[in-house]
Order: sequence, then structure tokens, then C-alpha cells
Amino acid sequence: MKGCPLSCWWCHNPEGISPEQEIVTEIRKIGETEFTTQELAGKYYSARDILEILEKERIFIEHSHGGVTFSGGEPLMQTDFLLEALAACKSKGYHTAVDTSGYSSELNFRSVMPYTDLFLYDIKHPDESRHFEYTGVSNTLIISNLRMLLREGKNIFIRIPVIPGKNDDPESLEGMKKMFSELKCDNLKQISLLPFHRTGKAKYRKLHLHYRMEETAQPSVVRMKELKEFFEGTGIKVRIGA
Amino acid sequence: MILSERVKKLRTQSLTAEERITAERALLVTRFYKSGEAREVSAPVRRALAFQYILKNKKICINDGELIVGERGPAPKATPTYPEISLHSLQDLEILNSRPKVSFKVDDEVKAAYRDEIIPFWTGKSNRDRIMSLMTPEWITAYNAGIFTEFQEQRAPGHTVLGYKMFRTGFNQLKEEIKESLSKLDFFNDRDAFEKSEELKAMDIACDAIIMYARRHADELERIAVSEKDENRKAELEEMARICRKVPGEAPETVHEMLQHYWFIHLGVITELNPWDSFNPGRLDQHLYPVYKKEKEEGTLTDEKLSDLLGCFWVKFNNHPSPPKMGVTASESSTYTDFCLINLGGVKPDGTDAVNEMSYILLDVIKEMRILQPSSMVQISKKNPDRFIHKALDIIRTGFGQPSCFNTDAIIQELLRQGKNIVDARNGGASGCVETGAFGTESYWLTGYFNLVKILELTLNNGFDRRTGVQTGLKTGFATDYKTFDDLTLAFAKQVKYFADIKIRGNNVISKTFENYLPVPFLSLLLEDCILNGKDYNCGGTRYNTTYIQGVGLGSITDILTSIRYNVYDNKRFTWDELNKALDSDFEGYDDMRYDLIYNTPKYGNDDDYADQQAVTVFEIFYDAINGRPASRGGVHRINMLPTTSHVYFGSVTGATADGRKAFTPLSEGISPSQGVDSHGPTSVIKSASKIDHLRTGGTLLNQKFSPQFFEDEDSYKCLTALIRSYFSLDGHHIQFNVVNAETLRDAQKHPELYRDLIVRVAGYSDYFNDLGEDLQNEIIQRTEHENI
Repeated sequence: MKGCPLSCWWCHNPEGISPEQEIVTEIRKIGETEFTTQELAGKYYSARDILEILEKERIFIEHSHGGVTFSGGEPLMQTDFLLEALAACKSKGYHTAVDTSGYSSELNFRSVMPYTDLFLYDIKHPDESRHFEYTGVSNTLIISNLRMLLREGKNIFIRIPVIPGKNDDPESLEGMKKMFSELKCDNLKQISLLPFHRTGKAKYRKLHLHYRMEETAQPSVVRMKELKEFFEGTGIKVRIGA
Repeated sequence: MILSERVKKLRTQSLTAEERITAERALLVTRFYKSGEAREVSAPVRRALAFQYILKNKKICINDGELIVGERGPAPKATPTYPEISLHSLQDLEILNSRPKVSFKVDDEVKAAYRDEIIPFWTGKSNRDRIMSLMTPEWITAYNAGIFTEFQEQRAPGHTVLGYKMFRTGFNQLKEEIKESLSKLDFFNDRDAFEKSEELKAMDIACDAIIMYARRHADELERIAVSEKDENRKAELEEMARICRKVPGEAPETVHEMLQHYWFIHLGVITELNPWDSFNPGRLDQHLYPVYKKEKEEGTLTDEKLSDLLGCFWVKFNNHPSPPKMGVTASESSTYTDFCLINLGGVKPDGTDAVNEMSYILLDVIKEMRILQPSSMVQISKKNPDRFIHKALDIIRTGFGQPSCFNTDAIIQELLRQGKNIVDARNGGASGCVETGAFGTESYWLTGYFNLVKILELTLNNGFDRRTGVQTGLKTGFATDYKTFDDLTLAFAKQVKYFADIKIRGNNVISKTFENYLPVPFLSLLLEDCILNGKDYNCGGTRYNTTYIQGVGLGSITDILTSIRYNVYDNKRFTWDELNKALDSDFEGYDDMRYDLIYNTPKYGNDDDYADQQAVTVFEIFYDAINGRPASRGGVHRINMLPTTSHVYFGSVTGATADGRKAFTPLSEGISPSQGVDSHGPTSVIKSASKIDHLRTGGTLLNQKFSPQFFEDEDSYKCLTALIRSYFSLDGHHIQFNVVNAETLRDAQKHPELYRDLIVRVAGYSDYFNDLGEDLQNEIIQRTEHENI
């Protein structure tokens, strides 16, 4: 879902930041010949449209014991629609998940809570000022919403984007580990470590935006395994990848 | 499983042995046909005596260290020819000797034998000559235009798999059955009683011949054993000699006996003639498991011995390249593989889960041996465990294209629809590429690929073929004459019917040439109920008979028709004149139109009904033209949808098409979407592909490409398993995962429009390769180079 209150340096879906439709420049090739077209990023969907799309995938969703995940952007920037879409999905028996930055009002979270089976909840940095620097917002609201959801017994997967040089220094890591150790409870099901990658880079070009992560390399497999072991110290299940 | 030094050595020898032509068989069969013995006997007896003559006089080959013996030629990969089927000219032999790919060494001795003896005797007398002289002018025109190919032009009918019975029966028992069948012949009321007695006589000679051939191996093994210094090897040779005196005359009782028993049968089939798809042990895990279990319980078989036996058995298949082609076919790329397809898993005759310990052992063998032949597949029923699929994925991820995945439950329904009983259906599977068959009871012939796209091209040109300059099809009108899209599909249906008639008429004549001139008494022994019926395999003697014509280019033709419907009729983006001009010029100067045809036109493979309904229309037209039409040896014609590599040949005779495809480039293969047009993920592909009714075919082929990194994390096996199970619950017949290599990825960088479907694993998530920046693409290419084995 398009529109996000954060603007993380490493964002790999930059077209999801602005809540407006945007023109993107697509370059497609046939052999060596390049074709440049202007296309709109962002389409309008009704809750019924979403159900139709899901119906097409139903056979696979059933066999894989999967469901639907609302992601973005920040889905809670469109809470009214999200609520309608989640309720529609629940009425058809789909498992529902919301992939969120956590940066939305407590009221919004409380309204979608009853129709959400699982929150995929991003924690990007434990330190408020550094969080502000890299994402444009403070992490206070994010952490308080997380506490609230856990208190209310909602199932949570924590997702940490592992960004070399930004949040993988010992202090940041220890900070996050400490936070999760305190929060640990039965409904905090998993921590997912999402290795930084530069797939978004090409999209910045299409949107004529500046890419700030040019010099950052993807963390190695060995490094990701180290971090997995590190966070396993919280006693929570950890996995690499989404 | 770890390969022993013995198996490693034999495997290396097989991989490095040079493919060569041997004139041994051709000379023997020529000498036999020249002899008085061949002249005054019936066709089946003549063929049985020829078979006996070859097996009596050919060189016996025992390779160092091997545990399973028998080679079709005098040495591994020495490949015989079959002049009675098709005669190589000296020029053909030279092409085989010198072509860069899939070549066969032809030495001076072979050339001399051909020049002095084989060519003078067989010129004008091979079955290929016979076939070509019997075909109608319409058939020849269509064949030259590339409308269809002809399977029986260079090889004998085959596509048959050994069933349960022959793994439990010796040829002495068959001789008893022959005796009984002979005694029951009714010379008062059965007009065919005499023909049946001749056929049964021929079968009896073939039984004696194969037993004699096994004993010649026993003699040779004993001779070598005498001078063998190594005590262990000496004991092995003596044991092998014992086995060759027992099987295939008597039924096998151990794993070793069973593998040797099968191998003699295999050699018999591929020596008698050169049937398509060599021969095939079929459900090998099912056949081996009972004897394996018994030996395990008795403690007579160690894991090491089992591994050695299976390794030696695998090498035997790889030692036998597909017989070399000739003429036009020889100068194209072909393959050494002879399409033996080992089936694992599926269900038992009572319908329960058939996956057993031997299924997993054989998957290990496939993984460790990693050789071209035999090919392998897993049958997956809803009753089979996920663990079995995961084990198969473990091998698939290594990227050598095996095993492929088949839907047992669909295969059974396909067979039941064709009238097989439930037990015969459950004992079936797939052979060759994807062809459905009732193993041990059915003779199912593939007769030729059918170029649906070329037929559409002719439909747009009033039946005139611009490549050959010959009026080839019906005069149904030009593109501009079709006022509506329905007019066009109706005309297309008429053309398909016209060419199907030509092909079926040809099939019914060609089938009779094999019945009358080239019966196969040995192969007939192996398939039920030839002995009971006193009829040959080539004469409708088996319990079930099916004749297939294989449709090619479903993805391409769907996209072409969809493009015409979308751009010309429904949205009027271009007129027929504009489109024709672009096609005539192969899109030179029409880049923008081509861009729209490729990127802005609905395509098959994206679960888009607008496009997919053309796939269903074409399928139904093809089905109606062929399904149920009588075949002259009994049974009826049916369809399947597979191309092997004919989509390349068929593309090479077909001009530019309205889906943006350039002239003479390959068509889509199987029922897969055209190269790279499916941009909505694998679940959309399986949804599109399942809109045609697989259960009314005898097999369909669907390929999906993935990068090796896709298999990296824990969930990928679960996802792929769910994808397979989803497709199969929609009655999909077959799916194969091709794990791409770095070379493919580099090609994707150069031709992005052909690889819009290519999904790669990036970093904990997957994306379309085309959507990645070039530096990231390069990074993935580098990673793939490291990971591909």
C-alpha cells in the first residue's frame, strides 16, 4: 500500500513512500533497443478487487497454509481501507497479516487488531536519535505500540533490517537484544533478520530520486549467521530472510 | 550413498567413451536377409530368425569390473544402425562423423562395410523408402512445409515400458504360455489362426534367442574367470555366470538377478529394432523392493553391494546412446539421450502410497550418479509424503534437470478415461518425456509433432506457404477476409482438421508397414496380451493400443491469437494491413509495434482469462480433430502436448508472428508460456496451464525456471511443494523445475524480453531478474557461477 510516514535510507520500495500516484520512468529492452515509457506507480483497488486477486491465488494459499499480507509503504496510513480489506479477507477465511513500521496511532492499531492474525513489525534501531536520523521519525511510538500489541496478546514477528554501518554495531545490536529479552513472551513468535540488499537502487533511478546506500554492501552469509546466533540469545526463534 | 571405486571407474569410462557407429548389426542383418533362410518364411518368423542370428553372431562384451553385463554393440557407446528401418548414406555417415554436436565417430571400416555391402543391399528397400513411396502428395507437401514430423520414418514404434509381470517371469514360462496359446488356436472358426500360429512360432524362437544370448555371456564370463588372478573378481565372475545361466530363462529372485534379467530384456528390445524411447524398466522402486526386502531380511545383500549393483546398472543405460539420425534431422542438433525414464513413487495396484525404502535409495543413486541416462521422474500422488518431494527437490536444485515431477492421480484418470482397468492404470506412469502409459499392457505410439503455429500462419495466407512457395493448406481465405475473430478461429479449425486427416491417413498406412514387414516378436513377448492374442505388438496385440499426435506451440499460438483478437478485432489498435506489413518485414522498422505486441498485449501464463481462453479454444480444436479417430492396428488416436526439441525446428519454418516473435525463431515449448512472457509469478503460470483439460490428453509438459539461490532457505522446499501440490490438485500432468546457470542469466541480460519470467533469489527474498539493476544482476551471475555444480 502506497504511502509511508518513514523515509528510511535503505528503503527498497521508494515508490511506496509518497501516498500519491507518481510517474515512473520505465526502461524496457528488446534485445539492445531501449524503450522508455512513463507509467503511473500506484493503482486504486477496492476491498472487492483484493478478494478477486486472492481468489486467483486461493489454491496455492490453501496448499501452502499461507494467507494475505498487507504491506507497503505503511498500510496503517490507510487505516479505514485496511480495516475494510482485512474484515473482507477474514470473512472469506484467509489468514491475515499486516507488515508495519509501527508508526501509527494506538487507536489505528486497536481498530485493525481484531481482524489481524499476525503483525510483521519492523524494529530498525533501538536508539531514538539514530532512529530519527535514518528514518525521519522517533521510535518512541513504535516501541509503545509494540508493547501494547504484545500486551493484547497479538501474534508478532519482529523484523530487523540488517543495515551495515547503520544498526549492526555492537551498541545497537545489544540495545535491540536487550529490548527483545524484556519483551519476550509467548506471542512474540519470531525475529526475522532481513539482510540489506540494493534491489531498490534501480527504482530510485526510475523515480529520479537520490540513492544514499551506494557504498553499502550486502552482509555476508557468515555475518548473518553470527547475528542469528546473537539474537537467539534472547530465547526467541530467529530466522534469516522474510 | 557413496560411489565405490568400481562404480566411479565405470562411470568415468562411460562418460569418456567415444560415441561411434558400429556396422556389426547392420552387417549381420544384411547377411541374414541375403541368406536363403530369410526368404521362404512368414514376416514374424523372418524377424525372429534375424533376431536370433544377430544374438548368435554378435560380439560378447564384458567390461572390467562390471557386475551387470551386455552391450548392444561390441563396446560401450558403439552404436549400431538399423538399415531395414532407415539406411544411412555415406554422406549421412560423414555428417554424423563431423557435426560439432552429438557426433558419432565413423571409421573407414564402417564406411567400407556400408559402401560394399549394406548400401548395395538395402537401397530402396528400407522401411523409410517404403513409407515415403506410400505417402500421398498432400502428406509430402505438409511434411516438407514443417506442419508435422514423422516418428516412424527413422525409428520403429515404441514408447513402451516393462510392467510388473516380466520382472517376475522367465522366458521358459513364456514358452509354456506360447504352447498353450498355440494349442487353443481355432482353425475352424478363426480366419487369423494361421497368422497367429506364425506369430507364436516367431515368439518362441525369440524366447530361445534371448536365453541363448544370456548363455553366451555365461560362457564368456566363465572363460574370463579361469584366468582371473584376483580371487574376489573371480568369484564375482563365477556368480555373474551363474546368473546369466539362470535369467532371463527363469524368473529372477535377487536384486542382482533382477537387474541382469531386465538388462537382457532391454538389450533384446533395442537389438531387435530401434524403437522410440529405447526401453524402460518403469516403476523400478516397486519391482525391486520385494526382492530387496527379502534379501535384507536374509542378510544376503549389503548396502555396499546394492550400491555397486545399482551404479553398474545405471552405467549400462549411459553406455547406450540413442541411435543416430540421418538426413535433415542429422544436421540439426539432436541428443544422445534415448529417453528411458525411471519412475519412482506413485501408488500401488491397490491404490495405496507406493513410496518405499527403495524409492529413496534410487533417488540417492540418481543424485550420486548424475549422468544423462537413464532419466528419472517422481510420481507424486496426493497420498505420497512431502518428504518424498523434498528429497526430489534436493536433486532438482543441483540443476541437472532430473527428476521431473508427475501427477499420479491425473495419470490414473487419463488412463481410466481411455478405458484401462483401475489396476492397469495404477501400474502405469509416464515414459519418454511425459507420455502416459499403462506399463506392461499398452502399446502407445507417438507418431509426430504437429505444428499448430504454422497451421495458423497458413490460415492467414489462404493456405499458401510463403517459405516453400507451395499451396499447402485449404483455401480458407486471407487474414483480411476474416471479418470477425470467430471467422478466423473457424477457418483455423478447418485447416487443423485438414492436416489432422492427412497425418492420420499417413499413420494408418505406416502402421501397416510395420505390421506386414517388421513385426517385433521379441517385444511382443514382453507386453500383455500379445501371447494370449497370438498377435504382434506392431499389429494391435497388446491389451491397450493408443496412437498419439503431439501438439506443439500452445503458448505461442495462444499469444498470437490473443494479440490478433486484442489488437486487430477488439481494440482496433492496428489494421490487418499494418500488422501484415510488420510481419512481412520481420518487424524491421516496426520497433514500436513490436514493443506493444510484446509488452502491452495480454499473454498466456498470467492467469488472465482474456489470453487463456485462446489456449482452451486451440486445445479443443486440436482435440476434436484427432481424439477418438480409429487407428489401423486397433485402438484410437489421441493427443498430448509435448515438443521435445521440435519447437525449435517448427519455429525455423514459421515466419514472424503477431505476438512479436521474430521469423524462424523457436516456438514456445510444451504447454509452457512463450519464452519469458509470464510476468505474474509461478502460481499464475500453473493457473493458466491448468485451464486446458489435461485429463483428456496423454501428457502435457510444463517447464519453470529458477535460479539456484531460490532453493537456499528453509521455506523454499515448502513453497515448491505447495506449488506442485496446487498444480496437481488442478489436474496438471507434469511440472519440471529447471535451475538456471550463469550462462542463461547472461543471456537474460542480453535478451530481457525473453526472460520476463525469470525469478531469482536476491537476499532473503525473490525478484524478477529483469527488474534488478545491472550491477545486481552481475552479482547474482557471479553467485550462480559459484553455486551451480
